[in-house]
Amino acid sequence: MIRLNDIVVKFGAFTALHDINVHVKEGEFFTFLGPSGCGKTTTLRTITGFIEPVSGSVVVKGQDITHVPIEDRNIGIVFQSYALFPTMTVYDNIAFGLKIKKLKKNEIDAKVRDIAKKVDLSDEQLQKAVSQLSGGQQQRVAIARALVTGPAIICMDEPLSNLDAKLRVQLRNELKKMQKDFGITTIYVTHDQEEALTLSDRIAVFNKGYIEQIGTPNEVYNFSKTEFVCNFIGDINRLSDEVVQKAAAVNSEVNPKKHNYVRLERLHVNVDLQPGQIGLDGVVTMREYYGLYIKYYIDLGSQTIKVIEKNDGVRIYEEGQKVQVVLDPRDIMAYEPSEKTEGEE
Amino acid sequence: MNSTLDRKLRPEFLLRVVGVAFFAYLFFGFMLLPCLNTLTSIFNVKNAAGERDPLAVIRFFLAGSMGKYVWNSLKLAILLVITVNIVGISIVLLTEYFDIRGARILRLGYMTTMIYSGVALVTGYMFLYASDGILTTALKNTFPNMNSSWFSGFNAVLFTMTFACTSNHALFLRNAIRGIDYNTVEAARNMGAKPFKVLWKVVFPTLIPTLFSLTVMTFITGLCAMSAPTLLGYDSINPEIVRLAGSSSADEAFPQARAALLSIILAMFTIVLLTVLSAYERKGHYLSVSKTKAKLQKQKINNPVWNVLAHIYAYVLFIIYMTPVVMIVIFSFQTYSAIRLKKLDLGNWTLINYFGQQDYEYLTGRGKYKTRVGSISGVFANEATLGGIKLSFVLSALAAALACVIVVVACNYMFQKNHKKSGVVLEYALLFPWLLPTILICYSYRTYFNSNSVWYVGNQNLYYAQNVRLLIVMAYTVTKLPFSLRMIKASFYSIDEELEEAARNLGARKIYTFLRVKLPIVLPSVLAVFALNFNALFTEYDMSATFASTYGTSYAMVIQAMCREEGLYGYNVNASGRRCASTVFIMVVSGIILYLVYGVGARDLGERLEAKDRRRKFFAKLTGKST
Repeated sequence: MIRLNDIVVKFGAFTALHDINVHVKEGEFFTFLGPSGCGKTTTLRTITGFIEPVSGSVVVKGQDITHVPIEDRNIGIVFQSYALFPTMTVYDNIAFGLKIKKLKKNEIDAKVRDIAKKVDLSDEQLQKAVSQLSGGQQQRVAIARALVTGPAIICMDEPLSNLDAKLRVQLRNELKKMQKDFGITTIYVTHDQEEALTLSDRIAVFNKGYIEQIGTPNEVYNFSKTEFVCNFIGDINRLSDEVVQKAAAVNSEVNPKKHNYVRLERLHVNVDLQPGQIGLDGVVTMREYYGLYIKYYIDLGSQTIKVIEKNDGVRIYEEGQKVQVVLDPRDIMAYEPSEKTEGEE
Repeated sequence: MNSTLDRKLRPEFLLRVVGVAFFAYLFFGFMLLPCLNTLTSIFNVKNAAGERDPLAVIRFFLAGSMGKYVWNSLKLAILLVITVNIVGISIVLLTEYFDIRGARILRLGYMTTMIYSGVALVTGYMFLYASDGILTTALKNTFPNMNSSWFSGFNAVLFTMTFACTSNHALFLRNAIRGIDYNTVEAARNMGAKPFKVLWKVVFPTLIPTLFSLTVMTFITGLCAMSAPTLLGYDSINPEIVRLAGSSSADEAFPQARAALLSIILAMFTIVLLTVLSAYERKGHYLSVSKTKAKLQKQKINNPVWNVLAHIYAYVLFIIYMTPVVMIVIFSFQTYSAIRLKKLDLGNWTLINYFGQQDYEYLTGRGKYKTRVGSISGVFANEATLGGIKLSFVLSALAAALACVIVVVACNYMFQKNHKKSGVVLEYALLFPWLLPTILICYSYRTYFNSNSVWYVGNQNLYYAQNVRLLIVMAYTVTKLPFSLRMIKASFYSIDEELEEAARNLGARKIYTFLRVKLPIVLPSVLAVFALNFNALFTEYDMSATFASTYGTSYAMVIQAMCREEGLYGYNVNASGRRCASTVFIMVVSGIILYLVYGVGARDLGERLEAKDRRRKFFAKLTGKST
């Protein structure tokens, strides 16, 4: 469906994208994930034509569109700010692209009302100014406007980032449903790992203009290819040398020469030790209560380790309480030390 | 090869070529060359022997006879900075910071200068305070020995301009004080600071950048003062330039070159001051670091003595601001004889000062009564006044619109990503007239285009007959470019870049995107700038005075003429009444424009649709139909 072949983008002397290669399948929900300035939006803008690459090609449905003007690409965009035209009504916003295509008035009307129905916008809302709509409704208008011209692909640039937390979760689900209903190939840009994990069929994790890993949410979370990905996706503990030595004593696959990490939910507090597991004695120094679960900070002497425990209302540990943390060395993810971690130079 | 040619023949490329040619023509033809001509004319004079003497004017200046005008202007500017700041800061503090009873009414009074200023305001003050003014006449009846010409010269100019120039304080300082985070005031109070300490140490420092800008602008206004010195009789630079420009070398030594020198001196002062202002503005302003800004609450003056004094001061200022307005409005509905005697005749009201004509009966020297048919006439019945209104209306509207169109096109170009460097050049070109005093531009036009040898205007003398109107439009337009640019550019900043990208993504070309997406967004601001430009030009005096001629008699010149006509009994005897009505007319026009700009024009599409919906429901209710 979409192929990015060896895309290089430069801004003056600065190289923003280094040899980006991506293949997005038809009907797929594909997410570009990464921190600010990593190149995810630049890649999206290269696909949509706002940025022309120094080298490489953008191929959509077998056709090279690298040098096709923006207005002729037939790629829909939902912008971060939605970019709804404030001087037009909702109807006129949606009809904008159709008017440019010089469709007949009744044809435009039919298409606008049809798409509005699909994205759950009423006739009354169509006559309103965009400023009179809520954030969620505005998002639906932006999607309707992007879809009404029948694009081959739809690109979304952090469309949920301007919303409050509750609405974000609600619209996330609606977005996923709409994408499935329309069956349109979607490229989604976000820096929010939770959004990426819940929405995507596949994720490309960007860092400093490179793609670190492409995979399903499960692959990037549980089988992070690089130290950056494991650090960026979800919360994680880097194990101290002392803990690693203990783990290596019971499991020969643990390599103390590598950087060893373990996810918080893979650790357990005060449970029976199973063969192949190790127990680490420590003291609870801090507790964060999240309702569904509780996060403990436990001082092991050599390091403070974070553990997440389901909140069953019974086994709740107090600050200062002595506990045992149980670690299964098979849960450890290890990376070569030469790979730089986030923030390291 | 072919694709390059195709690209060059695209309408966007051709439009750009036409645009560059137009802006080059405008800048070189109507900004740079006329002013350079003025500059060179200083050194292009001949002495009494008919020999070329480049330094003659400079020597003349240094000899001392011209220095008086410069010194007078400087004196006025310096004192005006002090008095305007005192009054301006006072009116803002009294209405926005301190808890003064009746602050809303006071604010309305203090803001009256926004709806009548310039020549209308000066003549309004004259109506009250001049030797035959209402107040002076009343005082003269009580104190027969008083000097009836007390309101003239420097003191009168300073007094009038002090109150005329506080509009900017009322607008910008008010906004600045409203932007103060009240939590900072509370924090200072919480740490034990007394109210006046808070004002001095917390509030004032945040206002300094705004005050600095206002001070510089006031100084320039004082330096370039025109209508007040002309009408109230004070020898400052601008009136002298106009006088010299109209003088002949047969009457005095090289008048044109002297006028040029004075206007260049004025330009030098302006350039230095604006450079200082720009440098200061570049340093950056005080920014509130507060994430949750609290609205400023009015401060009670706890000391009863200070409280009473503050109230007295507030209402004295209010009376000064309001008296001319009230008197003018009242007298505009009074009969000719009541106005002539400066005595209210409450039993006799009339609309003659606005509409219609009336015969005038007067006693001749031989003791006989004579009648002049239709000598008393109203604003809209007097041919000369109506002619002035019509001419000013057309020229102001044309120039205001032209300035807006030029600036919108320029801004659209400047705000495109690939036009950064050329955009900066264009911006500076349009800001160029800001560096020059209005009088320099007008004087330069008057002298430069007063010949048949300027090829780029078709060798036409633009200071001849009806052509002068074109010259006035160009002068109006050019002088309004910097203001229009500053205002419209700010509104272009508010266009989200993603809107343009969204339009292009939906298939729109650049021109279509500009017309359908960007222009509608900036249109309210553009219309506001148009209205403000029109408002300022409609009663504009400085330029009108420079271009005054049979074909270029604007409304301001007609108003000025009304100040002189009163003594000519038998013809146009109703000049004072018409003057009052003219001022009221200006106030109404300005009031409507300001309402349209800041009231109706400030609404976005959502607010307009809501208002439409309310109207629909209201009419449905009236007609008994369900919505």
